Amino acid sequence: MDIAVVGVQIPPTPLLQRWATEVMANNKRMQRLEIQPTELIDRNQSVGFQFDGQTFTAHQGDTVASALHAAGVSILSRGFKYHRPRGLLCGAGRCPNCLVNVDGVPNVRACTQQVSEGMKVRHQNAWPSVNVDFLSVLDRMQWLMPVGFYYKALHRPKFLWRLAQRVIRRVGGLGTIDIHDNPVTAYHHRYHHADVAVVGGGPAGLAAALAASEQGVRVTLVDDQPDVGGHLRFNSGQHHSLPGLENGSGPDLALVLAGRVKESPHIEVLSGATVFAHYQDNLLTILHGNELVKLRAKTVVLATGAYEIPIQFENNDLPGIMLASAAQRLIHHYGVNPGNIAVVVTVNDQGYRAAVDLLNAGVEVAAVVDARPSYSQGLDAAETLISRGVTLLAGHAVARAMGKRALTAVAVAAMSGGNNRRIACDLVCMSGGFQPANALLQLAGGSLNYDEESGEGIPRALPDGVFVAGEVTGIHDLASSLLQGRIAGLEAATLVAEPATTAQLLTDLNQKLSQRKSGLPGEAIGSRAAWAAPEGKKTFVCFCEDVTVKDIAQAIEEGFDDIQILKRYSTATMGPCQGKMCLKALAGLCAQRTGRSVNDTGGTTARPPIQPIPMAALAGPSHMPVKHTPMDRNHRALGASMVELGPWQRAHNYGSPLEECLAVRQRVGIIDVTTLGKLEVTGRDAGALLDKVYTHHFSTLRVGRIRYGLLCTDNSTIMDDGTVTRLSEDRYFVTTTSGNVDLIEEWFNWWKAGTGFCAHVTNVTSGYAAMNVAGPRARETLGKLTDVDLSEQSFRYMRSAQGTVAGVPAIFLRIGFVGETGWEIHVPAEYGQYIWESIMEAGNEFGIAPFGLEAQRILRLEKKHVIVGQDTDAVSNPLDSDMDWVVRFDKEDFIGRAGLKLASERGLRNKLVGFVMLNGQVPEDGVPIVSGSKPIGKVTSARFSPTLKKGVGLAWIPADLAQDGTQISVLVGGKPQAAQVTLQPFYDPEGERLRQ
Amino acid sequence: MAFLLNCPNCGARNVHEFRFGGEVTSRPSPTATGVEWTSFFYNRRNLAGVQREWWNHRYGCRKWFFALRDTVSNQVQETFWP
Repeated sequence: MDIAVVGVQIPPTPLLQRWATEVMANNKRMQRLEIQPTELIDRNQSVGFQFDGQTFTAHQGDTVASALHAAGVSILSRGFKYHRPRGLLCGAGRCPNCLVNVDGVPNVRACTQQVSEGMKVRHQNAWPSVNVDFLSVLDRMQWLMPVGFYYKALHRPKFLWRLAQRVIRRVGGLGTIDIHDNPVTAYHHRYHHADVAVVGGGPAGLAAALAASEQGVRVTLVDDQPDVGGHLRFNSGQHHSLPGLENGSGPDLALVLAGRVKESPHIEVLSGATVFAHYQDNLLTILHGNELVKLRAKTVVLATGAYEIPIQFENNDLPGIMLASAAQRLIHHYGVNPGNIAVVVTVNDQGYRAAVDLLNAGVEVAAVVDARPSYSQGLDAAETLISRGVTLLAGHAVARAMGKRALTAVAVAAMSGGNNRRIACDLVCMSGGFQPANALLQLAGGSLNYDEESGEGIPRALPDGVFVAGEVTGIHDLASSLLQGRIAGLEAATLVAEPATTAQLLTDLNQKLSQRKSGLPGEAIGSRAAWAAPEGKKTFVCFCEDVTVKDIAQAIEEGFDDIQILKRYSTATMGPCQGKMCLKALAGLCAQRTGRSVNDTGGTTARPPIQPIPMAALAGPSHMPVKHTPMDRNHRALGASMVELGPWQRAHNYGSPLEECLAVRQRVGIIDVTTLGKLEVTGRDAGALLDKVYTHHFSTLRVGRIRYGLLCTDNSTIMDDGTVTRLSEDRYFVTTTSGNVDLIEEWFNWWKAGTGFCAHVTNVTSGYAAMNVAGPRARETLGKLTDVDLSEQSFRYMRSAQGTVAGVPAIFLRIGFVGETGWEIHVPAEYGQYIWESIMEAGNEFGIAPFGLEAQRILRLEKKHVIVGQDTDAVSNPLDSDMDWVVRFDKEDFIGRAGLKLASERGLRNKLVGFVMLNGQVPEDGVPIVSGSKPIGKVTSARFSPTLKKGVGLAWIPADLAQDGTQISVLVGGKPQAAQVTLQPFYDPEGERLRQ
Repeated sequence: MAFLLNCPNCGARNVHEFRFGGEVTSRPSPTATGVEWTSFFYNRRNLAGVQREWWNHRYGCRKWFFALRDTVSNQVQETFWP
């Protein structure tokens, strides 16, 4: 079976194809091992998938990486900067080495992505393929790209950087999003609550969850693996004398613990779920499939474990070099042979155990290279290895790995120098010690202390309500983890439920734990990375960003010797793994080269998300609440074109805005104004409250009268406007602009809270349907339906009445936004449609027509009525907006009074005025007013006036030009056109029609 | 920003349910000078420590209340009616 090389973007030539095939023919064949007792695959079920066009067969339960490894594919990706071949490294979803595109989704970790039938996997960041990548020429060009080169080179001449940016972005890539091949994943958000949240499903986490649940509290256990059990699941050794467990192998114990968790009615398990942040008051954000869970817990137990980390030597990135735990996962989870001849490189006892696993799987172990002078006394694994004839090289380190596309040998030397030897191998298992997974702990506000003895960051201080257990504490001993887990679980539950019986239990457990810890060999307490003074050209510290030991050294040489700026300058720890593979090495190198302790060097800051997650998961579903007025179906039936106005759907027009205008001016029109905000202000101090917030008087407003009201902020800018009607002595009916009612309700209540007025503000917006019936025949139309006397003498302009329309109780407001005789009628929302239909029917004989927003805009513009937010902006005040008639300085105080006084003393810079175009043009909203070529003002609204048959509008111009008749120039279609300032309304300037 | 805030009416709720109203200021008298008013409009103490501030339970009972919050640690010590 040959591996066909199919480039994704550009099909390769036949020559290229042949060459690639030959290259692949040299690759070794990996095989499946015998059935492993711990394996997760189902060998009876086959799954077919594609990698770069070639079909592979995997078993059910395989990951993309395990299946490819089993098929002999060792190169999974290419490095970020140098495009060197990369293979499996961590095998646990932490490092960047196996990022692939799966079914159109970039940056999927092949080592955790389970294969499914028909899945299409493609490589990223290589051309034409991962096996033959022409961009790997960059590997010879490191002289062109020293550390921080983008700060130093390619900036002059100026155009060069723009070009370079594009090239760098293309060459150094983390996959591309193909918008044409973009699967739509609908992520949704869920809020969840728990008494105790346990993060990590390893032995410590399971013990904690069980201990907490025994106290009857609700526990949510979150684990990022497909099944709980943690490292027990591939830890094949026999365990004995564990607290609360029978003797058994790791997988057996994992099953026992998982079974107990499953049986507990108080524990909910989220498997395959990544906790990517901890926020204040124990909010955990979790990605679980296509669901983003926001889990608020009363207490949190962090049992996040520790990561195995790599070791630095030249070419430590060659395919075939992986973490010891990755090889163990391949063997125990997937029954895949990780290699044929292995060298284990270690700095702790873990390497020896891994070597035994390799031997048992049939891998030949050429040597175990340990940087320490010797292994821990009484280490069973070491004795097994010796008895089976494995060479143990204590006090040695690997200096260099050899091979082009795959590992062929390593060069080993004594730490003290000399004893150089070359060992042929196709697999190196690295065990560079452990880095506690403490990012969540840091986000929770915990502090760390670097322990020189163990070489690990140990929790020093924990925030209230946060507990830790297991290997994250720097103790790598199963019995201790189980005890720590039980203690943490009990303490977490105690804080929530205050059960009476836990005190003695806790004392006992703590005693047992300290006994256990005192008997532990130093090894179990940690794994100090021994520094073999790594050298060489391509000795990688950061695999994500291709940062080498040399780069770090040079950056420090250049003065970037603080770990935080060293990180930013070199970009080490800034890739997809967020420092999981490299932070410890970076801190160690920085300390070593600056002559400080690691504790003084410190670490980088953990920030969310601590594990990459899709942006779409954060965005979640798109919620656009849509509001329909009760008359919505009438508008649609009348053929209205609807527009969105905030949450509301409103009729923009019913075919011809100009026809609609004429109907209002000549006959009668009706518009749905249900979207107006409506507040009822009642109570003893209702008038006083309105006096306070509005610029005008309202406590003196007589019952049955209406007054226009303008709301300002205290520094005098306009907030909102509307009408205020006094329905009775202590009851006012207030309207606001459509989108602002919630804000205004808050505003009123704020001032009420601040002043202590006895008033009640009730938002009745959705309680009323409202429509404005206006035009010369409005009176006749409504007269047919109401008992209210609408005659000119009894129902005058700016008066209100309460009566019935078509038998339905209604509030009548005689106002004139569009400049004609008219009534705004508010009826209970349930009757909106009925009243609309009744009025339409009644007006039929008078030629009634519905009119939309656009017609209303034209009609009010002819009256020079301002729309707040359209004609005014965040700095407009009533004085410059031509509404000084609403401002009553004779009131002792109102919100905005002092600001307006200051503004009037300062004098006005600009004014809002009306203008008429002199030569027939109609400018667009927003175009500038110019003086010569200089913009001096701006048009806020402009329309063709069907009454004047000319373009009219409102504009901001310098105050000294705001005189009736002044000529100004409006830019129409890019050309200045003459217009004349008009201070009076364009239509019915005296308001006679309004009052008729 | 994801802390819990104890609404005096509704109890502990996610901070996203609330509108922040800023530090509590004292409004000058109508006869105060322009300088005093201008300072009231535009200057804030921006205290590093425990400050008294306005909060509104926008997506709850819609009531305004006071909170004593430590702006350094984000710990809310107390919430109460004005």
